[in-house]
Amino acid sequence: MTSLSLQKANLTFTVRKQGRLPLKEMVVSYLQGKHKYPKPIQVHALKGIDLELKEGDRLGILGHNGSGKSVLLRMLAGIYPPTAGKREAQGRIVSLFDIGLGFEMEATGWENITYRSYVMGMTPADVAEKREEIAEFTELKDALDLPIRCYSPGMLIRLAFAISTAVEPEILLVDEILSVGDIGFQKKAHERMLEMMDRAKIMVMVSHDLGAIQDVCNRAIWMNRGNIHAQGDCKTLIEQYSEAMKPAEPAPAPSEPEATSTEDSTAAAA
Amino acid sequence: MKAYTLEIWRLRYFWLSLVKIDLNTRYRRSALGLGWSLLQNILMTIVLSVVFGTLFQLDIAFYAPFILIGLAYWGFLSSCVLMGATSLYNAEPYMKQHKVPVAIYPLRTVLGASFHFSIALVVAFVATLFFQGPEHLLAWPVTLMGFLLLFLFGWSLAVLTAFSNVYFPDVSHLLEVGMQIAFYATPIIYPLSMLEARGVGFLVTINPFSYHLELIRKPVLEGTLPDVTIILGAVGLTVLSAIFAIITLWKREDQIVLEL
Repeated sequence: MTSLSLQKANLTFTVRKQGRLPLKEMVVSYLQGKHKYPKPIQVHALKGIDLELKEGDRLGILGHNGSGKSVLLRMLAGIYPPTAGKREAQGRIVSLFDIGLGFEMEATGWENITYRSYVMGMTPADVAEKREEIAEFTELKDALDLPIRCYSPGMLIRLAFAISTAVEPEILLVDEILSVGDIGFQKKAHERMLEMMDRAKIMVMVSHDLGAIQDVCNRAIWMNRGNIHAQGDCKTLIEQYSEAMKPAEPAPAPSEPEATSTEDSTAAAA
Repeated sequence: MKAYTLEIWRLRYFWLSLVKIDLNTRYRRSALGLGWSLLQNILMTIVLSVVFGTLFQLDIAFYAPFILIGLAYWGFLSSCVLMGATSLYNAEPYMKQHKVPVAIYPLRTVLGASFHFSIALVVAFVATLFFQGPEHLLAWPVTLMGFLLLFLFGWSLAVLTAFSNVYFPDVSHLLEVGMQIAFYATPIIYPLSMLEARGVGFLVTINPFSYHLELIRKPVLEGTLPDVTIILGAVGLTVLSAIFAIITLWKREDQIVLEL
């Protein structure tokens, strides 16, 4: 049974303003009897998130920049541990975010296909089966024999997308990658993406494209300042959200009144 | 811990392919390929044999294989410590995309280093056969046991330096300086007996990097088992560092990604 849940999950980052403290400095100032290190700033990125996902759930996450959407997605993926609270997951997770990162630049396209398939848990038999199909989807042909440091960003993203979408996910986590490559490729990629979302038992998507969320999701949450500000049926929530994001009007709902949200909402709508 | 080890095993194709890519990259760039890393040790040995062999009045039949093994050992150890230190830092893009056991990344470094080490050891073995004949051949399997112990030691050091380098930005620089000093405090280009004769043998005794070297070198060169103190020292240091490494992974595995 596939499931994914967070219970009172919190995440606090420690950010040091002057960067990390060198070990030398720390030892020397300790020996001199000074203990004045620049105080790190605590960023409370997620605050007591409760979320319960079952098979069939298609969750869209709304919210303006910096509201905690991407961090939440990473916590669902198991990459960021909750600093307080609990996360439980059953099922194979496939995450589609930062897919352009984590390439071995000196290795060829083929080699990158192989090892990136392995990191997603494939075996040599799986890779042998999928290799050709992945290569064909990229349309990169002979360029696959080149070290990928020679690739253009567009080529790289094609490769990344083809590999990342070749696996069978039980839980699929997506961060804004519905448009990749040139126009021809975008259409192809979009279809492949929708197919993959269809096969997944649980799907979570972060997007600023409200239309896309409305098309594929059946549930939605609205993130604001690390909290779930509102949640419920996808259509209703998107209406509320669009209403709140309209310029001119003051941000209606946020529980803590603050100036920034008005600014942000103006920026988001602009 | 069992589940953790199994997960590392499940992902073996991933880290093995990374090691393969590392090796390919390294050799693809040079015309001599594999030969280059061998040549470096051999040239160094020739120069050292001539200079220090004359200076210390040592028999070249003993001194040349002695240096070859020492250099091979040091190459491995310093790779584990120095490249191990950057192994997590370099793995940041993976760590922010996929949740896999963190221990894999130092393992990648240590496996690559082991490959070079094995080749350098083969050269040293051939040199020993050439200079000394096959009389100590029977003792060589002991060296392989030493290799396994050294592998675990190297991995533990790589884990520890990798984690400290994430928490403190200057660790890899400090380690570079430290390893340079340690090179001279380890009996690589001089035999221990020369220090002992002058009463400063303790320098080597307190050096944690000298035990595994002796464990590997003595059977090949002298055909005898190392002293009990050497064996106990090497086992003790390996177990101790492995315990620290495992505790570090256990305590910091999940949180480390927040520091990157």
